[in-house]
Amino acid sequence: MTWTSVLNFTATSILWIAFACFIVVALRNIIALAQLLVAAWVFMTRVRPSAGARDLWDRYADLSPPISVIAPAYNEELSIVQSVKALLALEYPEHEIIVVNDGSKDDTLGELLRGFDMYETKRTQIALLQKTRILATYRSRRYPNLLVVDKENGRKADAANAGIGFARTPLVCVIDADSIIEPDGLLRAAEPFMYDDDSLVAVGGAIRIANGCTVRGGSLQKVGIAEEMVPRFQIVEYLRAFLMNRVANAHRNTLMLISGAFGLFRRSTLVEMGGYRHDTVGEDLELVVRMHRFMRDNNRKYRIAFVPDIVCWTEAPAALRGLDNQRARWQQGALETLQRHRRMIGNPRYGRIGLIAMPQIVLEDVLGPPAELVGYLVLPAAAILGLLDPMMAIAFFFVSVVFGCALSVGTLVLEEQQLRRTPTAKDLLRVGVAAVIENFGYRQINLWYRLTGFRRYFRKENSWAAVPRVGFTTA
Amino acid sequence: MTLYQSVILGSALSASATIVVFLVLVFRRYLAEKSRAHRDKRDTAITRNYLQRVAGHRVEDFDKWSRGSRRAAISRILPLLRGGERTRLMQIAELDGVLKETLRISHSLKKKTRINAIQSLQRFGSEVCIGRLREMMARDRSQRVRLEAAFALAANRSLPPPRETLNLLRALHRLPTRLDIALLRSAAPIYPDQMVLLLEDDLPPSWRILIIDALGWTDNMGVLDVLRTFADDTNSEIRCAVLRALAKLGHPSAQAWVMSGLSDPNASVRLQAIAAIVGLGIKGAVPELVRLRDDEKLWVRLRAEQALEHFNPDNTEKRTVGTTG
Repeated sequence: MTWTSVLNFTATSILWIAFACFIVVALRNIIALAQLLVAAWVFMTRVRPSAGARDLWDRYADLSPPISVIAPAYNEELSIVQSVKALLALEYPEHEIIVVNDGSKDDTLGELLRGFDMYETKRTQIALLQKTRILATYRSRRYPNLLVVDKENGRKADAANAGIGFARTPLVCVIDADSIIEPDGLLRAAEPFMYDDDSLVAVGGAIRIANGCTVRGGSLQKVGIAEEMVPRFQIVEYLRAFLMNRVANAHRNTLMLISGAFGLFRRSTLVEMGGYRHDTVGEDLELVVRMHRFMRDNNRKYRIAFVPDIVCWTEAPAALRGLDNQRARWQQGALETLQRHRRMIGNPRYGRIGLIAMPQIVLEDVLGPPAELVGYLVLPAAAILGLLDPMMAIAFFFVSVVFGCALSVGTLVLEEQQLRRTPTAKDLLRVGVAAVIENFGYRQINLWYRLTGFRRYFRKENSWAAVPRVGFTTA
Repeated sequence: MTLYQSVILGSALSASATIVVFLVLVFRRYLAEKSRAHRDKRDTAITRNYLQRVAGHRVEDFDKWSRGSRRAAISRILPLLRGGERTRLMQIAELDGVLKETLRISHSLKKKTRINAIQSLQRFGSEVCIGRLREMMARDRSQRVRLEAAFALAANRSLPPPRETLNLLRALHRLPTRLDIALLRSAAPIYPDQMVLLLEDDLPPSWRILIIDALGWTDNMGVLDVLRTFADDTNSEIRCAVLRALAKLGHPSAQAWVMSGLSDPNASVRLQAIAAIVGLGIKGAVPELVRLRDDEKLWVRLRAEQALEHFNPDNTEKRTVGTTG
């Protein structure tokens, strides 16, 4: 093999890589654009729950399916009492709060017992889904609808499974202990069940970043925008994910992810499926993918819905430190789920899930991040070396970065037109600026974090580091 | 123009267009914030004017406000008024023509717009509004709009008789939802006799169950005899509906039936009977509930346990481990 042939081979390889990167990134953005348009159409034509329907629901409260809110808690002694009080105050005709103390090393349990005047009780566990041992169950003298389950440490999936096992209601709502649920969040999330003919098995809701908001007593008092740029970038990311991606996917019944911070499920389906898996770091994605698989394998008619209204607020990492671990974990979770359910990818047996939704996850989570990051390096280099048309490198920049701006700002337009939850024009402008500049640096850093998720996946790492929290502004 | 140039131009144009639209929305929001004080002042003035007119006082310069502003003000005032004052306000609103726009958009080609109009018509609830809602329920081309009009009529206690309601909503050809249950319950106190007559029809079982359930909401003890005829029905769901209706009616004579439900061979009926016993507060059922703690079905055992706790909360095993915080 001559030196020239080696150079030719290298040049051809670089060209192929460049073309592949361009196509993958362009395809991702075309799909995102289609999702934005579908979401806009859904928002424009959606009928908000009418006052008439809600009035009837209020009058006949027994028709609203009772819900168990399951809040796994680990080392939450500082905020658990306030969080539970906020959960008890949720507007819903009949709901039970099941707090699962997942072997906290601090005084989370003691705070709960003292704060709610609790006594030990023998509550029957209907389904044994957790791997660890239940130590005790407690009930409150003051709040009959509060149950605390104390168990050995086993991570969130295990704690949620324990709670699901104790639930006696037709619906269970699995949240994070620090999720701030909108006062009528349960009502809104349960609304699709009122129109349901028993085919609905799960409902997700839009979640928004609480950084910069004023929180008192576990409840959101005032919506605000964080001073730091990292949470602002994440506001844009969350809006894109929830208002664009999930609204569009739910419209085609291909919703593949219900966030761990808030998800409403039919209890019987979860129990039949065995609850959350313990051996993945992306248990929320895995659960919904498995739910699709389970329902289709058993030839059952089913539906997974999404409520585009904001039902829950959550604290996001305030700095890049913390975000890195979170994003790597999400990426690792996606890869684990794809690996576990690889038979569904492109499989016509799973209908639109196998043919559309799973390949879309492959494009988004397997091909997308490396293709974009490699493209940033390879295309300009190839253009400088004269291997490809410089216009192609410029076009790649426009497709990834400039078009990315268009998508982010387009989502903000959708939010402002339909939900209008950004408090002021000034805040809206601040988020708009973040939507533009996140494409110049933050987006690329995120891609890097996601690549570290690949490394964690191949090393089969299962360590879990908590995301550093800075807390909320208190009124 | 090459493909790459087209991509560059397309991306740049789409980004520019979305940013321009976004900036327009930001500016719109800014203007809305700036004019908030003025708007509040105007709304207060409109509200005051309407309240003065309702009370019979003379007011001036009433036509200077737009119909939309006046409609919004009336929507805010209406829930605060009752009886004659409310009727007078609705009459004034109709005379002012503030509902004209709502009635016009109720004929819109867009389903969403028509449903928005239904929500306004429901809030006002005047004769004209009810008339238009009935028309929409009967003749709208969209089934969803008909259903929304039915909810609005139900909220105003103006639903047509149940047979017409079910026909107009083409309900009997589909599976019922929880909102259908609510509609039937809402119609039950207005049309108890028609509900009973409806049971003579050849109904799908799922709908027959709902109608039996709705009889409990008639507040009419005359339906007890009808319920009695279904108490031993072979369909366990019908027996459950009878128990729900009995629990809602709350008549003392129902106690014996409810108690017999505790021995029903079907677990769902036993569960419903336990719920009815709790609802009716039948303390005499405690020995039976104790027996059901050993029922073969887990859910029956659990509900019996819960019912016993309800009747005698101090009897449950408990140990204090915390103090009031």
